[in-house]
Amino acid sequence: MSLLKVDRLSKSFGASRAVDGVSLEVQPGEIYGLLGPNGAGKTTSISMISGLLQPDAGEVLVAGHSFAADPQKAKRIMGVVPQELAIYEELSGRENLEFWGRIAGLSRNDARERTRELLAALTLTDRGNDPVKTYSGGMKRRINLGCALLHRPQLILLDEPTVGIDPQARQNILEFIGQLRATGTGILYTTHYLEEAENLCQRIGIIDHGRLLAEGTLPELQERLGGDRVFVMEANFENTAPDAWPGFRERFRIIQKSDRQLVVSAIGTRDPSDCLRELLSLPVRVENVTLKRPSLNDVFLQLTGRELRE
Amino acid sequence: MKRILDIGHTDLRLFLKHPSAFIWLFLVPFGFMYIMGAANSGPGDPYNRKPPVLIENADTNFLGRMLLSELSAQNMGLLDPTNRESAARVIQIPADFSENILALKQSKVKFRKRDGSAESDAALIQIRLVRALVAMNSHLLEAGTDTNSPGIFTESKLHAILAETNPVSLHTRFAGRKPVPSGFYFSLPGNLVMFLMMNLLIFGGSTVAAERRNGVIRRLMVMPVRRGEIVAGKIYGLMLLGAVQIVFFLTVGKFIFHVSLGANLPAVALVLLVFAWVAGSFGVLVGSIIAAPDRVSGLCVMASLLMAAIGGCWWPLEIGPPLMKTLSLCLPTGWALQALHQLISFGADLSAVAVPLAVLVGFGLAANALAARFFKS
Repeated sequence: MSLLKVDRLSKSFGASRAVDGVSLEVQPGEIYGLLGPNGAGKTTSISMISGLLQPDAGEVLVAGHSFAADPQKAKRIMGVVPQELAIYEELSGRENLEFWGRIAGLSRNDARERTRELLAALTLTDRGNDPVKTYSGGMKRRINLGCALLHRPQLILLDEPTVGIDPQARQNILEFIGQLRATGTGILYTTHYLEEAENLCQRIGIIDHGRLLAEGTLPELQERLGGDRVFVMEANFENTAPDAWPGFRERFRIIQKSDRQLVVSAIGTRDPSDCLRELLSLPVRVENVTLKRPSLNDVFLQLTGRELRE
Repeated sequence: MKRILDIGHTDLRLFLKHPSAFIWLFLVPFGFMYIMGAANSGPGDPYNRKPPVLIENADTNFLGRMLLSELSAQNMGLLDPTNRESAARVIQIPADFSENILALKQSKVKFRKRDGSAESDAALIQIRLVRALVAMNSHLLEAGTDTNSPGIFTESKLHAILAETNPVSLHTRFAGRKPVPSGFYFSLPGNLVMFLMMNLLIFGGSTVAAERRNGVIRRLMVMPVRRGEIVAGKIYGLMLLGAVQIVFFLTVGKFIFHVSLGANLPAVALVLLVFAWVAGSFGVLVGSIIAAPDRVSGLCVMASLLMAAIGGCWWPLEIGPPLMKTLSLCLPTGWALQALHQLISFGADLSAVAVPLAVLVGFGLAANALAARFFKS
């Protein structure tokens, strides 16, 4: 049984459709990455899943039970880590954790004990009694994460938990999230960092303009481009129309085209050297051709026609 | 319930950690209480006022001194000659006062008005002067008719008569309508109501607005806690802050400014806690409606000052036009102050403030319902 099942979730704000029929599932012990640029609908989706926003349509099931039928029961199963640092800066890390533990339903003693464990797991024991306002950005992010974990949730919703921190701090958090997954926790992880989705997530959903464009494992998504390689050609493509080249559309899929670059993948299973020979015989003076493994960015490019970082 | 207490206790801890908390909870209120109390103070208590009077005694003989002690016994607020500017009236005892009386002649004591002094003060002084003169004549009559040495008026004889217990005593109190509370009896409840409303509005409103901006409210709402529990926890935290302010005011009022809090301290505490609930609910409501914490603070300062002025915290409503009194009934500050004056200054009991309390509860329920309605993430 899925820990989280989201079925055709939709939400509009006035005339703007923020989320449009998003469906996904998160299994126990799985990190599901919801990848998309800013404004794609990731946070709106999380807000609906966690009960902050009422969906216009669709349903959320948590551990097989409808969220709408019993929100409090669903919330006891969930831990939500918001994108912003939703913590009390004037209180210490320990006080923050204990407070959120009691709010999650723990007794005073259990909250204290769990806080001790989490401070150790987040490598913050030494600074636990200092006010959070004296922490570095990475330490605040760790406390922000820990505040959602006091009640040992089976399902964790992480909304861009590494925004605005240095690479070392980010690595620490990603390792910690990996450890959570190893305990069987299901995690829905939104991000706009390609590397995080590629390295951390077992399955990835690509979202843009509120719609889930594709989902699957990384190899499955790469497969959409026609295999495990793409060709990056450099030449003057100004005033050229590749679609008009004889036989080109039948043999190659255009992922991206600019005045100086054409990124394509081969259609069907063909020998890369044959593909290369065909590309060099095109009616354009090719200055360079690079063969590489397709990245999530290439998948995103192919799906949306623009780079994720744009 | 447990979560409501947790939210409230944490909020109180956060309020008290705020750098400006001690200034606005303790320092500024103390200063206002002192300044307004001193500025509004009249001599004596409201039920037995002692308007200041200056005695110019030109008589060096014992009957002049005897009249002075009789005036003092009549509860006259006698002034030191160096304070003559603050006197409401002047009484002049002529140099030949003793000489004329001992010669069985009439002597005229002058009673002079001072410019700008109140007629009501003059009336009080005049009554006490007449009573002192009547008492003095009675003593003279008693001495003059003494069967052992009739017609002889000696200082020792008169002192012996004065020392005897008077077989007839008269106790007087302020009659007619209730007196206007003055001095610290006015400034204590006035400032307490004003600062409770101001601090709970500002701390409540700006905290809710700031927590909504930094995501803490959103985080609370994704936890297994109901929206009503969050609102109740926020209001409970503000009531705790109000309790800190109330204890400070009552302690300072009683032990530093020597305000008698009346026989109904539990009733005073009840009125104040209900008022703190009203103000806290308004604070949460303002923070729920207005997004920017800075705008919340500005609005709350203005609103609380306006409510304080119209509610009668700055000056007694009795000295204003009837419209002001009517307007004060539209505000919780007016009802709270009315109840506190009844309990502290007029010695009323809880039953006498049932109506103001019921109105305050009405304000609280309405503000509570609106705060719960508009509270959002």
